[in-house]
Amino acid sequence: MADALVKQVQLACEKLDQVILGKSQQIRLAVTCLLSSGHLLIEDLPGMGKTTLAHGLASIFGLDDSRIQFTSDMLPADILGVSVFDAASGGFVFHPGPIFTQLLLADEINRTTPKTQSALLEAMEEGQVTQDGETRYLPEPFFVIATQNPLTQFGTFPLPESQLDRFLMRINLGYPSPEAERALLMRGDQYSRRDRVSAVMSPETLAQAQKACQSVHASADLIHYVQRLVQYTRDADSFSYGVSPRGALALLRCAKSWAWLNDRQHVVPEDVQHVLEAVVGHRVRAAEDMAGHTATRLVNELLSSVDVMASG
Amino acid sequence: MKRTQTGVDKISRSAVIWQLIACVAVVLPLFSWLPAWVLLLGLGCIGARLMIHSGRWSFPHWSIRLVLVVAVGAGLLMTFNRDASLNAMVALLTVGLSLKLLEIYRRRDALVLLYVALFVAASVFLFEQGILVAIYMLFAVLLVIAALVSVWQDPLREEMLRPLKHAWRLLLPAFPLMLVLFFIFPRIGPLWSVELDRSSARTGLSESMSPGDISRLTRSDELAFRAVFEGAPPAPAERYWRALVLSAFDGREWTPGASSSVVEELNVIGESIQYEIVQERSNQRWLFALDVPMLAPQQARLTSPRTLLGHAEVSQRIQYSVESARQYQLGAELTSDQLDFFSRIPANSNPRSQALARQWFDEADKDVSGLINRIFRHFNETFVYTLEPQPLGRHSVDDFLFQTQQGFCEHFASATAVLLRSVGVPSRIVTGYQGGEWNASQNYLTLRQYDAHAWVEVWLEGQGWVRIDPTTAVAPERIEMSAEQLFSGQAGFLADSPFTSRIGRQGWLLQARMQYDSLNFAWQRWVLNYHHQQQNLLQDWLGDLTPWKMILVLLIPASLILGFISWRLFGRRTIQDPIERQLHKLFFKLEKQGLYRQPDETLKRFSQRLEQTHPELAMILMPVANTYETLHYLPVDQAHQRKILMDCINQALKQLK
Repeated sequence: MADALVKQVQLACEKLDQVILGKSQQIRLAVTCLLSSGHLLIEDLPGMGKTTLAHGLASIFGLDDSRIQFTSDMLPADILGVSVFDAASGGFVFHPGPIFTQLLLADEINRTTPKTQSALLEAMEEGQVTQDGETRYLPEPFFVIATQNPLTQFGTFPLPESQLDRFLMRINLGYPSPEAERALLMRGDQYSRRDRVSAVMSPETLAQAQKACQSVHASADLIHYVQRLVQYTRDADSFSYGVSPRGALALLRCAKSWAWLNDRQHVVPEDVQHVLEAVVGHRVRAAEDMAGHTATRLVNELLSSVDVMASG
Repeated sequence: MKRTQTGVDKISRSAVIWQLIACVAVVLPLFSWLPAWVLLLGLGCIGARLMIHSGRWSFPHWSIRLVLVVAVGAGLLMTFNRDASLNAMVALLTVGLSLKLLEIYRRRDALVLLYVALFVAASVFLFEQGILVAIYMLFAVLLVIAALVSVWQDPLREEMLRPLKHAWRLLLPAFPLMLVLFFIFPRIGPLWSVELDRSSARTGLSESMSPGDISRLTRSDELAFRAVFEGAPPAPAERYWRALVLSAFDGREWTPGASSSVVEELNVIGESIQYEIVQERSNQRWLFALDVPMLAPQQARLTSPRTLLGHAEVSQRIQYSVESARQYQLGAELTSDQLDFFSRIPANSNPRSQALARQWFDEADKDVSGLINRIFRHFNETFVYTLEPQPLGRHSVDDFLFQTQQGFCEHFASATAVLLRSVGVPSRIVTGYQGGEWNASQNYLTLRQYDAHAWVEVWLEGQGWVRIDPTTAVAPERIEMSAEQLFSGQAGFLADSPFTSRIGRQGWLLQARMQYDSLNFAWQRWVLNYHHQQQNLLQDWLGDLTPWKMILVLLIPASLILGFISWRLFGRRTIQDPIERQLHKLFFKLEKQGLYRQPDETLKRFSQRLEQTHPELAMILMPVANTYETLHYLPVDQAHQRKILMDCINQALKQLK
């Protein structure tokens, strides 16, 4: 039964490969993030396919989605919704905002003010929205896929470390390979529209898959490895701060999902290594660089400094 | 947040305390040799550093330090009067150490301080070499090493005892090395030497003898020498230790006089006795021997009246063996010139004594032994043997014989010789030591300054020089008992010695003292003077000494000890888990072919990488990788899977051969 579920998810991934060419790693990471019930942050330049990926994910898993394009003049109410006086009923009626959806695409999250950012991030963390003294639950499942531009661009409000930590993963798409790009150019943009992708899964099967992911076995040796990795980020001089316990939990959760996605019932160190940069990259910062553009270098250092086979 | 590493070379607070402890430990044994103000300065500096430590004071400004340095320099110049003696040098070192204490803050300062402290520790042995000091200094060095360890420990670790334990572990393996080096390292003479301070010269016999000289020596219990016998020592009454012979008399004082270069002839009757002497520093040239030495040891020559004169001053403890005749005939044949010399006396001195001697000589029918008997009887009748005789005037013998009638051995000896010379009988004074304390456990006699003695040698026709001791007439117990037993009640005895040496002269305290003394003596003989034995020992072991043999003998124990240490250091890192050990063997084999596993590579990825370049090795490695992964990352029966993995690895090892 598990096998069928895995096959379904793998099929979904293959379908997504058709939509975004040459990015199968990133697609699988994004799917892993969904399987781990975490929120995803995609960071890249405009036009790299961020939105396409988000739409693709939403349609393939059969989730309803909505999209917010963040701008600098947005207010929290624009996301959460407002209560408006209705003369007919003689009371206030809540008009839910775009956040009341299963998959929310928050485009260019770093373009808006911190006030609005934090309204969204609070909702992400709590899974609920409280307005006018009334708590309203967000639908299940609830995913946020946020995209952001690199911070060096003008007119951005960088997310603080505490809020970056709310995202389970951060991935970069990057430029496509020459082959993929040639294929993309030959095909034209006919596939970029979302209605060309049909759903292969329902939210219910996604919930089952999520459950299955967390039942993957992680041995004591593997947990040791995860702990050593995390410990290194705290001890080494090249890191200005290390990974939090929440980060460590996230790493293990993602590794489990990755193992499951690769049709294994146990986690191996390779799984951890695969998801390491996506999970840890936005949670660490190099000592000498406060702009946060050295994640890859740091993760490489981390990988080559912690011996995967060290006993104990 | 991570700890920021600020002030990397700042030493920890507990290290500062360790520096202070180490400094106190090395300076403490020097306290009786240093001027009081140096010690006060040291105490002040320690106090100041403690105030800084507790945060009440801040580090002194450079101007204060400058003033201190200038003041201390001036103080040293004034104290030692521009005399560059050893004491001055050690005082300079100590002062430097004290002032540096004020500055310790960084690791560099602490290291300078500790190296100087080690130097000060070594300088202690210039003054004191006893066994207790040696044991103490071992302890002090342990403290200095502990301080050195504390300098390098993490500034955030504040455990006080950790450095001490660490230092102990460091020094323990050094101990056998120390013993080996002690036994076989060749003793090299000093390349340069510093004059020891003259003012610290010991009390002891002097070149001349005037009344009161020897009784003054009884005020001291300082060690003169020790004599080791193979068998039983001579009886107390025969323990006359000859040091020098005084032949010229000026009416008050006896001096050696002009000596001939011909050694007086000695006829040995009966057997001789052989013994070894360990003599303390005296800053004089003469050595000691039982009456009468047959041959001179190599450090000395025989003088005409058969005393031993060293080639150089005894400026440090020396050891020599002597053979003495117990029954003998000395200088039986003397020329008339010599006889005349030995009976010379200033004509106008001591007139009453001379007259008395002539009267007695006539009464005894010109018989010399009759005269001697008469003199001794006279002494026995009315004279008092005392440590504190009254002062004598210009005609000292007259004053002694007719007025005070009390004296110490030198008074009686001097009077006897003068009386004999007055009637033309050749005689002379011999000074040295008499008796000694027998330590049966180690077979040696201890001679102290209070054992100093003077006696007379009279020349008789046909018999040569004959020893007569007038002291036996007045106080025979002086010869039969020890000086110590005789005088212990008297007021002047040991008046100049520390209180501790005046107690413990009886019962179990005496026992303990004897035990300690023999321990100290063994220490001196076998440790401090070891170089004598060393040569024989090495020759016994190695035959003729060649440099090659020396190097071998030094290298073998050194490499053994170093081997042991490295085994302790690196042997512990052997891998306990047999699987891990076998895996390391496997990796080692691959490494020999230039194939290294990267730290982030699991076995599986490693063998996948090898597949590209070395498919045959990957084939061998793959099963190992799979079983390894199963064991470590799958929920399986550990014991069973371990066995499978072990087999897999062994198989792979076999295939790799």
